[in-house]
Amino acid sequence: MTGYLLSRLRQMVPVVFGVVTVVFLLIHLIPGDPVEIMLGESALAAQKEELRRELRLDRPVVVQYGEFLLGLAKGDLGTSFRSREPVLREILRRVPATLLLSVASMVFALLIAVPLGVLSAMRQHSPVDHLCGFLAMLGLSMPNFWLGPLLILIFSIGLGLFPVSGYGTAGHLVLPALTMGTGMAAILMRMLRSSLLEEIRQDYVRAACARGLSRRDAVLRHALANSLIPVLTVMGLQFGALLSGSIITETIFSWPGIGRLTVQAIEARDYPLVQGCILFIALCTVTVNLVTDLLYSRLDPRIRYE
Amino acid sequence: MGDVQNRFPYAVLLLAIAAASLPGCSSKPPIDDGMLVIAFPGAPSGIDPRLATDAYGTQILQMTHASLIRMDAAGNPVPDLAERWEERSPTEIVFHLREGLRFHDGKGLSSADVRYTFAWILDPANRSPHRATYGTIRAIDAPDPRTVIFHLSEPSAPFLAGMVRGIVPIGSRAAGYSPPIGAGPYRVDDFRQDSEIRLSRFDGYFGTPPAIERVVVKFLPDSNVRFLELAKGSVNFVLNGVDPDLIPAALENRNLVMEEAAGSNASYLGFNLRDPVLSEPLVRRAIACAIDRESIVRSLWKGHADLADSILAPCFWAHADGIPEVRFDPDAARRLLDSAGYRDPDGDGPKPRFRLTYKTSQNELRKQIAAVIQEQLHRVGIDLEVQSFEWGTFFSDIRKGNFQLYSLTWVNIQDPDIFYYAFHSGQVPPGGANRGGYRNPEVDRLVEKGRREPSRGKRKEIYRKVQLLLARDLPVFPLWISRNILVRDRRLEGFEITPGEDYTSVKEMTVRREKGAGR
Repeated sequence: MTGYLLSRLRQMVPVVFGVVTVVFLLIHLIPGDPVEIMLGESALAAQKEELRRELRLDRPVVVQYGEFLLGLAKGDLGTSFRSREPVLREILRRVPATLLLSVASMVFALLIAVPLGVLSAMRQHSPVDHLCGFLAMLGLSMPNFWLGPLLILIFSIGLGLFPVSGYGTAGHLVLPALTMGTGMAAILMRMLRSSLLEEIRQDYVRAACARGLSRRDAVLRHALANSLIPVLTVMGLQFGALLSGSIITETIFSWPGIGRLTVQAIEARDYPLVQGCILFIALCTVTVNLVTDLLYSRLDPRIRYE
Repeated sequence: MGDVQNRFPYAVLLLAIAAASLPGCSSKPPIDDGMLVIAFPGAPSGIDPRLATDAYGTQILQMTHASLIRMDAAGNPVPDLAERWEERSPTEIVFHLREGLRFHDGKGLSSADVRYTFAWILDPANRSPHRATYGTIRAIDAPDPRTVIFHLSEPSAPFLAGMVRGIVPIGSRAAGYSPPIGAGPYRVDDFRQDSEIRLSRFDGYFGTPPAIERVVVKFLPDSNVRFLELAKGSVNFVLNGVDPDLIPAALENRNLVMEEAAGSNASYLGFNLRDPVLSEPLVRRAIACAIDRESIVRSLWKGHADLADSILAPCFWAHADGIPEVRFDPDAARRLLDSAGYRDPDGDGPKPRFRLTYKTSQNELRKQIAAVIQEQLHRVGIDLEVQSFEWGTFFSDIRKGNFQLYSLTWVNIQDPDIFYYAFHSGQVPPGGANRGGYRNPEVDRLVEKGRREPSRGKRKEIYRKVQLLLARDLPVFPLWISRNILVRDRRLEGFEITPGEDYTSVKEMTVRREKGAGR
């Protein structure tokens, strides 16, 4: 297991390195001058050159890339052009909000997906199954830019239950989590249903029922755990995406997460911050995938990592 | 029992979420507690007066930081920290500070703080974006605690406009999101980047302390959410942040009222004068005649904009009267294009006279305007390709001269020296903002003269001539000036809408007490 873990950690390095390299090149290739954005149009050419020199932007891209990697090796992500704060501090400031929203969205998605997915599979082709299928289609079809304001209209304006937007209390978390979790719940529900249907038809479930176990217990105690592997894979991918932030949901609810920070950094051509954000997102994605792989063995003891 | 055990975790979680949410949302609107809650369409990148360049940062600073002087609605300087000022010579300006000035921490504000603020901006090591504004300052003296003397290297008429700059205490460090303290009517209690800023009344303010004790500014980038916050009452003041389409719906709420006043943000159509087609003045005039600005203002701005004849708003002191109007006249546009040698090859047929590209940002309204202009130019035989880009890419292209037509807006013009910056032949980017490459020796001479002339009356005459020349040559076509629209709770009173969207008068605001007020 330790050997497998080390080997996976070794594999993560080139993935993250590749992502960071591509982003470094892309951000330097797209038009837009960070110096001009910082100093404004009215700054004198000499001032712009001075700042360019100071920020080391006058050097060839290869040299800048080398310096970036050197800093990275020392754990220094540089300083944001825009805020003059260390990039790491900028990112860490957003991590709690991002984590909170991601976990809450995932919890909400699971609270919806697991019971409805199980119900739907156990009562295949029944009206309940059709209703769940309809709800899943609805959840998948509603884009966040529409669902967010709709939830605000119902729960904030109509019922007065939650604040419209902002960050700081648990109440602020509910609507963005519902917005981000709805689509995910739909995917997980359908995934669980199809995976569980396959398991229900297996001999061991039939044998359990023949031994006197109720169908419900056979499914919940035996089939459900086995059907979770594909669900877990999708969950891992979805959770990785959640951690990288959702610019739409964060914008609607004024949520200070990583997604908005990344977009703002790109707009300001804040190269160190863009690189820092992408590094964070890449690390989150590969880490979540690794954790997902490791969880497989917990769900299915037949899976062993050597 | 098994059922209960299975359901228990879900029930507990749902209850926990519902219960935890309750402290976060009071059913009582903040106005009932006398709190002003403003919504901005974006977050400031910082609120240090020495560094802030964006409109949101500037507007917050108008509430938190006092400067030597302020500008009134017409662009005239009025006292702020300085009770008076005098010009000993065209290169020596003396400011006399009020007595008993204090910063938010209670410490005294003196001429040394003023000198420090400007010296900090001028120090290249601090990388202030405002350094170029003060390029003519040669030295700053603080002979006594209440006197500051600015020595200039040459006479500079726009110098006074640059004195609208928040003063910070000696030793204030430029630290990202921790704003330095100021001496304005409100102090910063909490600044949450990308979320909100909380202000409270500064009782040691040198003027009359504000009537409203607490102000919250929420940063709400989504226009629908700004509208919904207004509808709920959790925001009670939005200046230029409600989409024209949503204003009628907002006003259905009996607690909300709208006020409208002239603005100063001038949108214009920019031409690349290096382009062989657009270098021809007749073509530029034809394009101007082909655009039906009135219908665009009526349909897309819902009437909340005024047609422009200059990049200066009519209320600004240097705006020239009597600038010839460019009327919408497609027939005249066709005749002008014919006489410029661009005849329609097949009359009403599909072939255009020529093709142009029009660059704009990804702002939805800008894209809609571009589509209407595309259709209007098509009617006179000009094929227009609209390209919309992310802001950084778009602006970079404009700066590099990589465009034929584009549309932008001049905001917050403080001094007519903008004409030097935008139209002098020596101000072609990267040095200035003459993005179209306009060259006119007479305009060059006038704008150089205007920036050295101390007399406002003479400057007005100089810039009148400049505006007439620009109206003749059309290096840019002024389109419209958007009006300032305030949607507020009807109980909030005392705010003066200025053309420059100034928040200085927040300190004058009061909340009218009403019996039985509610939603």
